Amino acid sequence: VKTLRAVWLGVALACAGRAVAAQNPHRNRFWLELGGGPGAIRIGCGGCPGVTTSSGSTGYFRLGGSLSEKVLLGVETFGFTDETFQFTDQDPAFVAENETLVAVVLWYPWRGGVFLKGGVGLAGGRFTVATDSGATAVAQGVGVGLTLGVGFDYPISRRLALTANAATFITGIGDLRIGPALVDDVIPELYQLSIGLALR
Amino acid sequence: VKQRVKLTTLTLVLGLAARVAGQTDERPRPLRAVGTVLVTNVVINQFDAWVLGQPWARTDVGSWSRNLRLGWEWDEDEFITNMFAHPFHGAAYFNAGRANGLSYWESAPLAFLGSWTWEYFGERFRPSLNDFFNTSFGGMAMGEMFHRVATTIRDSETGGFDRTAREITATLLDPIGGLNRLVRGEWRRRRPNPVEHDSSAYVFRFHAGSRFAGEAGALERTAASPTVLMDMTSGAPFDRPFETAYDFFSLRMQVSPSGGINMVHGLGRLYGRDLRRPGARTRHLFAVNQRYDYVNNAAYKFSAQGIETAIWSRWRLGSGAFSLRSGVAADVIVMGAIDAPSAGTATRPYDFGPGFGLMLDLGLTHRGVTYLSWYSRAEYLHSVSGASADHYVGFAGLELTVPVARRWGIGAYVSSYDRTSQYSDQPDERRVFPEFRLFVTWTSTYRPGAVLSR
Repeated sequence: VKTLRAVWLGVALACAGRAVAAQNPHRNRFWLELGGGPGAIRIGCGGCPGVTTSSGSTGYFRLGGSLSEKVLLGVETFGFTDETFQFTDQDPAFVAENETLVAVVLWYPWRGGVFLKGGVGLAGGRFTVATDSGATAVAQGVGVGLTLGVGFDYPISRRLALTANAATFITGIGDLRIGPALVDDVIPELYQLSIGLALR
Repeated sequence: VKQRVKLTTLTLVLGLAARVAGQTDERPRPLRAVGTVLVTNVVINQFDAWVLGQPWARTDVGSWSRNLRLGWEWDEDEFITNMFAHPFHGAAYFNAGRANGLSYWESAPLAFLGSWTWEYFGERFRPSLNDFFNTSFGGMAMGEMFHRVATTIRDSETGGFDRTAREITATLLDPIGGLNRLVRGEWRRRRPNPVEHDSSAYVFRFHAGSRFAGEAGALERTAASPTVLMDMTSGAPFDRPFETAYDFFSLRMQVSPSGGINMVHGLGRLYGRDLRRPGARTRHLFAVNQRYDYVNNAAYKFSAQGIETAIWSRWRLGSGAFSLRSGVAADVIVMGAIDAPSAGTATRPYDFGPGFGLMLDLGLTHRGVTYLSWYSRAEYLHSVSGASADHYVGFAGLELTVPVARRWGIGAYVSSYDRTSQYSDQPDERRVFPEFRLFVTWTSTYRPGAVLSR
């Protein structure tokens, strides 16, 4: 019986969503969105023979306004964290944190809720490791970030929508000094799958 | 056999593209635009591989797989390749959209798509992050200017030799637009011109003379060279309200026999708003502009792509024939490049990085044409590839043009470029490069709102 209720609830929500979507498919005027999900990171650097990859968790917040019925302009902040990051298997576990603060454009090319995202702005990366003495050593860099992605707004009420996002964040954060070693021209590239809630 | 298969595939792709492009109507065709971008990449790649015999263009599944696995890096190409040729290349992607009925904003993703696919699949090298930025953002700026100038050169309401000559000239600037039109039979078909076709919107001023560039901080140690400089503006921001992206744009380009194109400053208005009523004697406009800067001469190299917010003002003086204009702007550099003695990495003698800055300019105009102008600009660039450094640069210049006949004038220009580089592991370093020009000018027309000089 519970399963049946859940199915009916799902169907009702879907129908309501479709009805709302038909009336008001996109966001208009002021909007904001908050969400999170799993992520992955791939780090390359100047002169490095390969890349380091890892997974972690991500979160984002963005808000903005509408330039037209199909184009939204906003600001987005995004963060990635992995507390078990290692450049090599011999390394101690780092806390790897990456953030971006970018101006974003969301473009709804069609009538439905599918949108494309593009943005550019600041990026930062921070790697924290506990030293033998118990203190922490931090290596960090700041630079430029660019994000590209695709998403889908699923309206659940007149003012709310569930949003699914797939995005990549390509960041260049410069040189990092990790202990005695200087790692040149670090490029962390992040991938995110997320679910968010949008007030629109 | 492999070559034959490639040739057959290319012929089929080109044939299909020609058929698709041959469909004519005025509606936006995003899929056709995407197809044009991908075909452009295939054609350029195959031209590089077969005709020019470039080993880096001989891509295969192995190189694609490696590039997808390893991802982005910074490359070590020459300054002109990264900061000028790549934006030029990006203009082709962008104009695949403009040629297929898409707007400036709708065409922007195509510049990114074209660049991304080229970086991963068009070269054996690992994808280059600086190329991705420069091709995409620079392609939007150059592409829109080329599109608008080419659209004005073309005249779909004429015929004969004049029509063909115009189409060929426009195709040199906007090859993708020209080829699309050729395939669709629009080089001959008579039809009304689009709204961007507006020759009255353009003002040109050509400067020809001699340039004296200081080599190490003093004008006594100068190198002189002949130089030609062109100012071009399209649109009149104080006379017409903002309508669409690049309804006003300006371009300053300098060519010297020894160094080719050694300076390009482009600016296109993306958004504008009147801060006072249009009929007021004193006007203030708020503008958001896209900028493209490229300076590559023997003394120094600097390039930046970014966005600025600006307040442009105009004060009428006396009876109104003379005006004082000013501009105050704050800009964000999305991707910049700068050379310095300790900059760069491996074979590349310059750094990449984002930054920000401020600009101020003043000008005295008579009936819309600028005769005296002064500007000052300060920029900060944080290196993210190359030396571990922060660069501070200052530009300042004063330009005077004295009219001697209706369209002719003589002028002088003095400027300086002041760079201070702070390295994390070396002493700070500072250089000043002065420059002086003497020139004759020819201005194409006189009308309100005309030549800005930056």
